[in-house]
Amino acid sequence: MPSSSNDALARRMRVAGLNGIMLAPAFSLVAVFVLVPAVITLIGSFFTFGITSSAWKWAGISNYIRAFSDPIFWVSLKNNFIIIFGSIVTQVGIGTIMATILDRGIKHGATVYRTIIFMPVVVSYVAVSLIWMMIYDPNVGSLNVIVKAIGLTPPRLGWLGDPNISIWMVLITAAWANVGFQMVLILAGLQSIPKQLYEAAALDGAKGMKAFWYITLPGIRNILIVAVLITTIGALKVFDFIFVMTGGGPANATQVLGTYIYLQAFNLGNMGYADAISIILLVIALILGVAQLKLSRRG
Amino acid sequence: MTNHSFRKLPLAAALAASIAGIAGPALAQDSTIKMWTLNNTGYQEFIAQAAEAFKQTHPNVNIIHETFPGDQYKTSIQVALVGSAPPDVFFNWAGEDARRLVADGLVLNLTDLGTADDGFQNTLSEGWLEAFKYDGKLYGVPVDAVSVYLYNNVDYFAEHDLTPPKTFDELTDICKVVREDNPSTIPLPLGNAGRWKAIHLMTMLNERVIGQADAAADYNLSRDTDELFTDPGYVEAFNKLVEMQDAGCFEDAPNATDSELADVMFSSGASPMSWCGTWCMADFDPEGVNYDMTRFPVIEGGRGDPDAYFQVPEGYQISAKTADPELAAEWLSFLVSDDQAQKFAEILKFLPSNPTNIDKVEGATEYFKWAAADMAKYSAGVNVLDVSLEASVAEAYMNASVEVLNGTMTPEQAVAQIRDAAVQAQAAQD
Repeated sequence: MPSSSNDALARRMRVAGLNGIMLAPAFSLVAVFVLVPAVITLIGSFFTFGITSSAWKWAGISNYIRAFSDPIFWVSLKNNFIIIFGSIVTQVGIGTIMATILDRGIKHGATVYRTIIFMPVVVSYVAVSLIWMMIYDPNVGSLNVIVKAIGLTPPRLGWLGDPNISIWMVLITAAWANVGFQMVLILAGLQSIPKQLYEAAALDGAKGMKAFWYITLPGIRNILIVAVLITTIGALKVFDFIFVMTGGGPANATQVLGTYIYLQAFNLGNMGYADAISIILLVIALILGVAQLKLSRRG
Repeated sequence: MTNHSFRKLPLAAALAASIAGIAGPALAQDSTIKMWTLNNTGYQEFIAQAAEAFKQTHPNVNIIHETFPGDQYKTSIQVALVGSAPPDVFFNWAGEDARRLVADGLVLNLTDLGTADDGFQNTLSEGWLEAFKYDGKLYGVPVDAVSVYLYNNVDYFAEHDLTPPKTFDELTDICKVVREDNPSTIPLPLGNAGRWKAIHLMTMLNERVIGQADAAADYNLSRDTDELFTDPGYVEAFNKLVEMQDAGCFEDAPNATDSELADVMFSSGASPMSWCGTWCMADFDPEGVNYDMTRFPVIEGGRGDPDAYFQVPEGYQISAKTADPELAAEWLSFLVSDDQAQKFAEILKFLPSNPTNIDKVEGATEYFKWAAADMAKYSAGVNVLDVSLEASVAEAYMNASVEVLNGTMTPEQAVAQIRDAAVQAQAAQD
């Protein structure tokens, strides 16, 4: 073998070794904190055991069968999808509108508005939830005062106590907390669209909604795909808002898979069943993620 | 090994022996007890002074005290106990949670510990110790018990010529009178957003309607499957809850109202009654509200023992993994000793399991003394449903109470839901 080939091979091996060394810490952390727990979760889903159990009892696929016949599992899944689609509309949709207004509609003070709208993003979800719980309170909350002031009747069971509306009230809170992030993301995409495109379109008579539809939206298409993906994943694993604001209630009306897994694992002692639901949630997340990526590539 | 090395061996052995000799006793004396409790007001102060006092007889023992909010505690303690560094001593409620830890072998059997003259087995009465006995063995040291009473605003009652209710009908009548006087006044705010306020109420309604003797076989799932929770008294108890709601006792949205807000409605004088625990005295006293306390009234025709009443024993358990069980037991004996029980009552305002010095408690209000005396008169303690029932049945009970209050479920449907959960729980146990 010629010497230069040996040198190249040695160099490649050195680089590969160096890459391995550089990646090792990150890979170790991922392995310890993600891969190993994920494998244990998968194994645990085939057993019956509690968090403090010393013995695991083989259950086969009964935990999975139980999930599909458990009405609260389906309520939780439905709520997850309400939050996914609701968040896409309220966070990405309103975020796009706000970003467009800030980019093209406001002449002065755009930075101030942007800062104000972004502000909730830096507040923890727990704090946001507590603030909105005060607003929604049926006895002393400001929302009831406002609703009564405009001549309407607030819900008798309370905004978070009525099973028909409580999930939507949580959705509003989540939108308030996250819309600023989506707005900034989309605004960055909008500002990368060349202004000349709008000027040329204006000369051809395309202004306002036409310009938005034919120039702005295609221009931020990739950003929107990322925004929708982030929102979908965030909505699928939603936990904080529900746990703090309603605890999954009233009577499971706002239960989502995240809080239901917690309930089964830590409150009811059904760790194996909680593992099975976690695996189902993982599969759903993978399907949605892959579908979105495929759709974006097809476009 | 060389000959030279062999010559050094006796020297090294002697050196090692001397180091071991010096270090041995010192290491044995330096002990640490890690303790977990709830973060009730005053707990830090109580344990800090107790640790300081314990040092006088155990100079090399350090107490590390960590506190947790109530809603996180049950989860945290389970995770910690299966981990590698659990607390040596921890707070727990007597009931289903403590029983589960016993069944899983995570807590120490204390039957043979604390038997010295000043040990907890001699300091505390047999009745108290019974709270933490499972299968005839002792697994915990009761430190206090909490109860729930009907508080009433003395000034409001005098002004409106009302007397504290002795029967259930009198209670609903008071609610109606309050509403007639001012429809916006909430007579008895419930604050059931956390679901535990209603379950406290259902605990007493079940007791008054059915009685512990008849309910016990359902609660511990020992009744035949076909008969589990089929006693019509369970529906009747829910009907009583609906009666209270129909009489206007509660706020419009009890399931959306925080329990603390409900308490504030009473302490601020906005509401004339409160269904609140003995721990609420510590919150009401500083507000200056002039209140009185009574037991939840009896229900005419009910099967319950009128002298049996709400009582949740709380105490400490020792981890099965503790390095020094005797020391941990000594620490617990110290915590429930006469002097420390007095300090416990003074600082935390809770009713201690050791009542020897109850009359010497500094700053004890009349209400505190009354509650302590009243608890001593119970013919039997009634443990709260969410502590005494199997976890999934308790969950079903709490949800059923929420739905009945919301009007989304009838009492019959509620009991059917509880029965389904009980049947499944019983099957899982078999």
